[in-house]
Amino acid sequence: MNRLDGKVACITGGTRSIGRAMAEAFLAEGARVVINGRDEAKGQRCLEELGAGERAAFFPGDAASQEVIEGLIDFSIERFGQLDVCCLNSGGVRHTAPVVDMTDEEWQLELDWNLNQVFWGMRRALRHMLPRGAGRILVTSSVEGKLGKPGLPGYVATKHAVNGLVKSVAREVGTAGITVNAVLPGLIETDIVQQTGPETAKAMGLSYEEMVATFAGEAAIQRPNKVEEVAAVAVLLASDAARNITGCLFPVDGGTMPY
Amino acid sequence: MGELDGRVACITGGTRGIGLAIAKRLADEGASVVLGGRNPEKGAAALAELGGGERYRFEVCDVKQREACEGLIDATVEHFGRIDVLVANAGGATGHRPVAELSDEAMQDALLWNLWHTFWTMRRALHYMLPQRFGRIINISSVEGKVGKPGLSHYVTVKHAINGLTKSAAREVGAEGITINAICPGAIETDVMQAEGPGAAASMGISYEQLLEVFAQESAIKRLNEVEDVAEVALLLASNAGGGITGSMISVDGGTAPY
Repeated sequence: MNRLDGKVACITGGTRSIGRAMAEAFLAEGARVVINGRDEAKGQRCLEELGAGERAAFFPGDAASQEVIEGLIDFSIERFGQLDVCCLNSGGVRHTAPVVDMTDEEWQLELDWNLNQVFWGMRRALRHMLPRGAGRILVTSSVEGKLGKPGLPGYVATKHAVNGLVKSVAREVGTAGITVNAVLPGLIETDIVQQTGPETAKAMGLSYEEMVATFAGEAAIQRPNKVEEVAAVAVLLASDAARNITGCLFPVDGGTMPY
Repeated sequence: MGELDGRVACITGGTRGIGLAIAKRLADEGASVVLGGRNPEKGAAALAELGGGERYRFEVCDVKQREACEGLIDATVEHFGRIDVLVANAGGATGHRPVAELSDEAMQDALLWNLWHTFWTMRRALHYMLPQRFGRIINISSVEGKVGKPGLSHYVTVKHAINGLTKSAAREVGAEGITINAICPGAIETDVMQAEGPGAAASMGISYEQLLEVFAQESAIKRLNEVEDVAEVALLLASNAGGGITGSMISVDGGTAPY
């Protein structure tokens, strides 16, 4: 008996790093999973690697787009008949800068990618979950949803916003059998961090190596986190056993945040 | 194959309520478990509930005494050769009064039962965990370790203190393969709650039933928590995947605490 037998999950940013680890963990626990990502070829390759056959599907598109995120929810329900677990996981920065140099375009992109995705996704998912009286919404936030680093004003602001949204919506649907939680990972050297990290580090006035060392040095464990550590928390929060855990900002940060 | 095969766990207050639920969950995953408790009859009953056998053991332990706390840890190592997981779970408070009328005895009792016990067992367990470079210490705090209610000032104070100890100690041993976390449950109708709840309610100027209703209404789920909720999170923290989580105060409170 697996912990997610019979469940259907969708995961934005599901083809790599944290989202990919969640997909693998959910499949291992018996769930059916729809992964979303921008790159069709990467998505198909990911499906092959997951090797879950009919239990996994790919939905292409940019999660920062309302059409795509709503399409993902609808596709998941159409494909597997229901949606039990909605993981709004995709997010990040492209060309971040200290606020004095921050462009409107980057600011809007981070709002859409990190915050609006979560709003659009949970609103659409709740319309399906509320009549069923069951559901799990899981948002990948960040330690920067509680702290603040220079050079990441949009990321820090949107992750704080997401935490507020999670707390508020958890109270709206708390008696409807639906939980809404956020996971707050510390730095993980995902491939997106490796890609955008050098430019992000520059905005912080650091080299990439210095940036990774800064995050690791803030943690009690003195190392970055791992995607599997986030995936294990995601499985717990997605499971029936977590029915009484909601509105929780669950840290997976090796002891970085003070609260 | 369990997640905790070969691991040895020690749980204070392990014969009932949250402690027994954690014992069952860790035992399900293959851990050997030592239960500390005051009452040998309850100990025998708890061992029977675990199904008996070599993997489970009861030790008489009044956690309000240092020798008993240290003796429990030592007995665990003597019998099973090591200690991997410590759950400092025992706790509660007596003599509830508003602080203007709170007795020294009630404050002292709360300090011993909750804070001294957590300190004594943690210190002793670390003597064994540091050389083996592996350990999981899980302190059962409370939602009242993050917020405060009138009439419960000694309980609120000692649970806040446990959260502080958790954060500080986590940073001391974070690079040594040892994690130290607190779980902050909402109100659960355990037998300690049934025994001490009426006194706490009286101190708050309400009935016991009203007290339970106050806790339920503060949450998003509008009901009390259950011991199994806490056991699931304890298992996650005890597992290998929990290695990236430390110094955290994890809310298992149905969405009550604001952070």
